[in-house]
Amino acid sequence: MVKYLAKRFLRSFITLFIILSIVFVLVRQMPIEGYFPNIEKMSQADIERDLHMMGLDQPILVQLFDFFKDLVCEGSLGVSRVYRTNVPVTTILADKIPLSVQLGSMSLCLALLVGLPMGTLMAKYKGKLFDHIGTGFIVLINAVPAAVYYLFIQLYGTDLLNISMLFTRNPEGIRWVLPVISMSLGNIAYYAMWLRRYMVDESKKDYVMLARIKGASENQIMFRHIFRNSFVPLAQYIPTSFLNTVIGSIYIESLYGIPGMGGLLVDVIKKQDNNMIQGIVLLFACVGVIGLILGDILMVTLDPRISFTKKGGDR
Amino acid sequence: MSANKKKLDKKVIIAIALVLIAVIAVIASGVFNKSKTDDTKNPADAQAVFTTLYGSEVSTLNYLTTGTTWDQTIGANVIDTLVEYNSFAQVIPGLAESWEVSEDELTWTFHLRKGVKWYDHTGKPVADVTANDFVSALKYVLTAEYDSSSSYLVYDAANIVNAVEYEAGEITDFSLVGVKAVDDYTLQYNVTKPTPYFVSCMTYGCFMPAYGPQLEELGADFATDNEKMYYCGAFIMEEFEPQVKHVFVKNYNNWDAANVHLDKIVREYNAEAATLGPVMVERGEIDSASLSNDILDEWMSKNPSIVVRDRAVPDYSYFYAFNFNPQYDAEYEPENWILAVNNENFRQSIMKAFDRLYAMRAIEPNNPESVLQNTITPKTFAAVNGTDFSELEPFAGVADLYFNAEAALEYKTKAVEELTAAGAKFPVKMVITYKSGDTDWENESILLKQQIEGVLGTDYVECVLWAGPSESFLSKTRRAGMYSFMRVNWGGDYVDPATWTDPFAESFNAADALGNLYAADGAHKGNSYNMMDMLLDTDAYPETTATVTEYYAAVTEAKAITTDTLQRYTKLAAAERILLDNAIVVPYCIWPASAQVTKLNIFEGQYAPFGMSNLRYKYQHLSENYITVDQFNAAEAAWLEAMGTTK
Amino acid sequence: MAILKHPKLEELEQHCCEALQEDLNDPSMFAYADFDETAVERTGASNYSYWRSTLNAFSKNKVAMFLLCLMLAVVLFTFIQPLLPAQFDPFDVNNDPATGLPIKNLQPNSVHWLGTNSIGQDLWARIWSGTRTSLFIGIAVAMIEALVGILVGVLWGYVRKLDFFFTEIYNVLDNIPSTIVLILISFILKPGVSTIILAMSITGWIGMARFVRNQVLIIRDRDYNVASRCLGTNTWRIIMKNLLPYLVSVIMLRMALSIPGAIGSEVFITYIGLGLPATTPSLGNLINEGRTLMMSPNLRYQLIYPTILLSIVTISFYMIGNAFSDAADPKNHI
Repeated sequence: MVKYLAKRFLRSFITLFIILSIVFVLVRQMPIEGYFPNIEKMSQADIERDLHMMGLDQPILVQLFDFFKDLVCEGSLGVSRVYRTNVPVTTILADKIPLSVQLGSMSLCLALLVGLPMGTLMAKYKGKLFDHIGTGFIVLINAVPAAVYYLFIQLYGTDLLNISMLFTRNPEGIRWVLPVISMSLGNIAYYAMWLRRYMVDESKKDYVMLARIKGASENQIMFRHIFRNSFVPLAQYIPTSFLNTVIGSIYIESLYGIPGMGGLLVDVIKKQDNNMIQGIVLLFACVGVIGLILGDILMVTLDPRISFTKKGGDR
Repeated sequence: MSANKKKLDKKVIIAIALVLIAVIAVIASGVFNKSKTDDTKNPADAQAVFTTLYGSEVSTLNYLTTGTTWDQTIGANVIDTLVEYNSFAQVIPGLAESWEVSEDELTWTFHLRKGVKWYDHTGKPVADVTANDFVSALKYVLTAEYDSSSSYLVYDAANIVNAVEYEAGEITDFSLVGVKAVDDYTLQYNVTKPTPYFVSCMTYGCFMPAYGPQLEELGADFATDNEKMYYCGAFIMEEFEPQVKHVFVKNYNNWDAANVHLDKIVREYNAEAATLGPVMVERGEIDSASLSNDILDEWMSKNPSIVVRDRAVPDYSYFYAFNFNPQYDAEYEPENWILAVNNENFRQSIMKAFDRLYAMRAIEPNNPESVLQNTITPKTFAAVNGTDFSELEPFAGVADLYFNAEAALEYKTKAVEELTAAGAKFPVKMVITYKSGDTDWENESILLKQQIEGVLGTDYVECVLWAGPSESFLSKTRRAGMYSFMRVNWGGDYVDPATWTDPFAESFNAADALGNLYAADGAHKGNSYNMMDMLLDTDAYPETTATVTEYYAAVTEAKAITTDTLQRYTKLAAAERILLDNAIVVPYCIWPASAQVTKLNIFEGQYAPFGMSNLRYKYQHLSENYITVDQFNAAEAAWLEAMGTTK
Repeated sequence: MAILKHPKLEELEQHCCEALQEDLNDPSMFAYADFDETAVERTGASNYSYWRSTLNAFSKNKVAMFLLCLMLAVVLFTFIQPLLPAQFDPFDVNNDPATGLPIKNLQPNSVHWLGTNSIGQDLWARIWSGTRTSLFIGIAVAMIEALVGILVGVLWGYVRKLDFFFTEIYNVLDNIPSTIVLILISFILKPGVSTIILAMSITGWIGMARFVRNQVLIIRDRDYNVASRCLGTNTWRIIMKNLLPYLVSVIMLRMALSIPGAIGSEVFITYIGLGLPATTPSLGNLINEGRTLMMSPNLRYQLIYPTILLSIVTISFYMIGNAFSDAADPKNHI
C-alpha cells in the first residue's frame, strides 16, 4: 500500500502539471479586451506594448515554460494584475485562505456532527415520526434555493441575535454563527439523506439478519455493522466536500462580506487576472487531488473488502 | 487471520479519524483565530464619521495608472490637484495658487502653494510637496513599464509636448517632454498646440503629484497598499483592508482643512451592497445607501420623506447608433439591413417612432425627462457667453427631430416604396443588442422593441433582441459590429465639446496619428461606434457617403478654430447637427442619478462635467439625520440658482 | 470460519437436513411426471418480471403516485397555459391604457393573477414559461449526465486497466474549476438554453461517473461477480446483467435529483451573471430578479411564487426518485 501511495503521489504531481497547463492555455484563449478596462481609448501600439509587457505576445509554450520555471525555481506565482495591482498572488491568497478554511471546516464539522446522527436515527426509526421530520427537513433544504434561504437566515437571524449584517462588524465568536449554520445546512441534508439511504439498503442485507439471529443488540447492529458499512461510500466524499464547501461559500461570503476565497475565483476570471486564476486553480487542484487520495485511503481502511492493489479476477 | 487484530485495526482507524476531525476543529477554532477583534467603539462623540457600503473592491490605489472612475475615488480624496472645481463647476486654485499662459498659448506656468506636505498613512509628515513631485509623477505615468491606463490623457487631451513619443520609446530623455520644475514652487508645461481647456486637465489623476523619491524606490510597487504611498489631500487613508474596509481620516494639516467637514470616512465592503445597504440604513447601521430601481417604489411609499437622488453628472452621453457595417449571422439578414440603414427615410422612421421617454423608464422610472438629451453633447457640459452648448443657434428646433408617430408613418410609407424598389425584404430585421445580466438595459430593450414595433408594425420592422455576453461585452458586440441599433455611450475627456466628436472620427487617437491608421492585418480601424466611416471606401451608397463626408469636413473646420470660443462651439454644434438631421444617431440620455438615502448634502460637493471632482467628499457636511426631500429640494434649487448665475 | 460455528446456525442446518431426510424417506412425496413439451420452454420459478414488480411496488406508494401525476400535469400545463383564455404574453409589457405607461410591480389581482414585475410583464405567464424552460434544461442535463456518467463510471469502476486512465482524467477535469469552463463557453457561444445545457453537462457527468464508479468498485468483487467471471461471462454481460440492475435504484435516485440539481445550478449560474437573458424566462432568472426584492416585504411575491414552483418541482422529483429507488430494489418486491 505504501508503494501504491508513493506512486499515486508521484502521479498527482503529473496531474497537477497537466491541470495547470490546461488552465494556463485556457485563460489565454480569452479575448484581449478583458485585460484593458479602457481599451476604448487605447491605440493599437499601446495594446501591443502592454501585451508585450504581460508577456502575452510570446508563443504560448514559452509563456508556459516561464511560468513553471518561476513556480519551481522561485516558488512565485507572479503578481496580480487587476484584482490588486502588483501585489503578489501568494500574499493575497495567504490573507484569504485562513478565513475560508476556518469557515469551511467549521461548517463541515457541524454538518458531520448533525448530519451523521440524523441519518442514523432516521434509518433506525424508518417510517416513524423522526424519519418524517428528517425527510421534511432534507426535502425543504433541497427544494428551496440556497440563494433564497441564506437571505432569509441573514435577514431574520441578524435581527434575532441583534447583530450587524456585516461579518466584520460583529465580535469574534458570534460573527461565525449565522454563516456557519447557513453553510452547513446543505451538507447536513446531504449526509443525512445518503446515510439514511445506504443504511436502509444495508439493513436488508443477510449479514444483518445473521447478526440478529446471533442475538446482537439492535444498537450494536445499527452502529457497529450497518453504520460502518454505510459510511464507507460517504467517507470518500468528505475531503472533496470540504473543498466544495470552501469554493461554494460564494453566496455566504458575499452576503456577510467575509473576505475569503469564496467568490475569488469567479471574480478573477471575470477580471481576467491570469496569475490569480492560475494561483487559485493550483491551490484548489492541490486540495482536490489530495482530497481524492485521502478519500480513497479512508475508504480502503474502513472497508477491507475494497482494495487498490491487484487481486484475483482481474480483467 | 485473527478477528481480534482486525478489530484492533479498525479501532485504530476510527481513533485516527476522530483525531483528524479534532485536529480540523482545533485548527478551525484556534490556530487561524487571528482574533481580529473589531474596534466597534461607537464614535458617538463630536466626530463626524460617515459610514457606507461599497459593492466592488478597487483594483488599485495607484491614482497615476488607474483608468477607472471607481479606483479614482481613493486618489481624489487623498491627493490634491493643481486646480480644483468648486461646487459650481468653476476652476479655483488648488495646490497652485496662480497660473498663467504664454502669449503663443503653448506654455503654461503654475505657481505652487508653499508649505504643503506629504504625510504617511499614520499622519506623520514626510516632506514638502514641490514642483519636482509633479514632474516625477508625470514621468511615472509616461513610463511604458508602469502601464498607465490614463496616459492617453496626457497627449490626447492635454497635448503635452513629446509625451506620446516618450511613452512609445521614440525618445528616452525625459527632459524633452513638456514638463519642467523651474524651481521648487514653479511648474511649467509645454503643449503642442493651443489648448483652451488646458487648466481643466490639471484635475486628472495622471497630473496628480507623487513624492518623487518614493516613486523611484517603489516603482511598480507604488501604491499597492495604503502604506506604500504618501498623502497630500483632504484625507489620509488610514486603513485599507481589501474586501473588508477603507478608512479615511481627515488630514487636519491640509491647506484647505477648514473646508473638510468629515473627520472620518468608513467604507465597508459587501458584494450584495445593493440589496443589504437599504436594510442597513433602515436599521440605522450606515449613513448612506443607493436604492435600485426595483425597490424604489417600495421605499417611496414607506419612507417618502428621505428618498432623494444623487446629482446627475453629464460626464457620459448615451445615444442609440445605427450600424452601417453589420457583422452578425446571416439568420438576421445583415445584407437587408445594410440596404435599409442607408435609406434616410428608413432611419428617420425609426428615429421618429422611438419614444425615448418610454424606454427610459427602465433606467429612470420616475423622472426620465430630467436625463433626456436631444444632443450628443450633454446639456450643461459646456457653455459660451452664458449660452449652453446644447442651446447654441445650430441646435434650434432640435427637439422636433424626435418621437412623432405620425411623421414616423409618413417616413415609413416613403421608405417602403424606395426600399421595395431597391429590393429590400420586409419586415426588416433590426438587431438590438444589450448586455446580458444588466437587468435595466434588458428591460429597456424589451420596452423599446414593443414600442417601436407598436408604432411601425411588425410587417415593417422586426426588432430582434440579442443578449451580448456579459464579459468583454463591447469587443463582442459594438466593436465587432454585432448590432443594428444599439445604445452606446461615450465619456467626455476634457471640457471642450470637441471631445464628443471623437467616437465618430475616422481615427481619434494621437498615437494612431503617428501613422498607423490600419491594423497589422490591414483592416481599417476607424471608428468602432457606428462604422459609418467604412462607407468612405465605397461608392455603393452615395447619399450616406455624402453625409459622412460633410460631417468630417465640418468637424475638421471647427477644430481648426482655437481662439474664438463662440465660433468654435457654433461650428462644432453645426457639425453635430448634421448627424442628427440625417438620423445617423439618436441622442438618448445622460446616466440617471441613482435614488439614495444619505446624510450628506451632495450639492455642497465639488462639481465638474467630467473627471473626478465629483468623487470628493470635501466641502460636504454630515447631518444628524437622513436628508429629507424638502432639504434636498431646497439645496438643489439653491445650487441650480448658483450655477445659473455663475455661468 | 467463525460464522459457521455459531450454535444457532448449526441447529438450523441440522433441522433442515432432518426435514429433507424425512421427505426423501416418504414415497408418497414422489411421482413420475409425463414429458411436457411446454414445460421445457418454461424458465424460472415464477413469472416474476423485474420491471412489472417495480411498477407494482411504485404504484403502491400513494404520495409518489400523486406527485408523479402532479409533475405530468405541470409539464402538460406549461404547454397548455398559453392557450387558455385571459392569459398574457410572458414577453409583453402591459401598459396602463390611461397613461400609456407600464403597470409595474402590481400586486396579484384578478387580471394579473400573480401580479406584474418591475417593467409590467405578467408574472403568471412568465412563471409558466420559465418552468417550461427550466424543466427542459433539467431533463436534458439529467439525461446527458446519466448516459455519459453511467457509461464512463461502469467502465472506470469495473475494468481495472482503465482505472488509472479514468482516475487521471477525473483528477484533471474535476480540478478545472467549472466556472472557467462556463465562462469560456459563454465567450464562445451566445447565451441561450443550449449553451446552458452544454455548460452544465460538460462538467456534470464527471460527478455521476465517479458516483457510479464507487458503487461498482464496492460490488465488483462480490462473490457472485467472481463466480460469473470464473464461468467466463464476458465483461459487457457482467456489466449489463450483474452490475447495472444492482445499481438501478441508486442511479434512479441520483437522476431524479439531478433534474432539480440542474435547475438549481441554473439559479447559481444566473447569480454569477452567466445565465439566460431575461428575454428567455426561466425559474433561475425569475428567482434572481426576485432575490433583489427580498428585503421589500411588499414586493416579495415576485420571489415567493417562482420559489414555490421551483420547490414543488424539486420536492416532487426528490420524492418520486426516492419512491422509485425503493421500488426498484428487488428486496422490496416480495
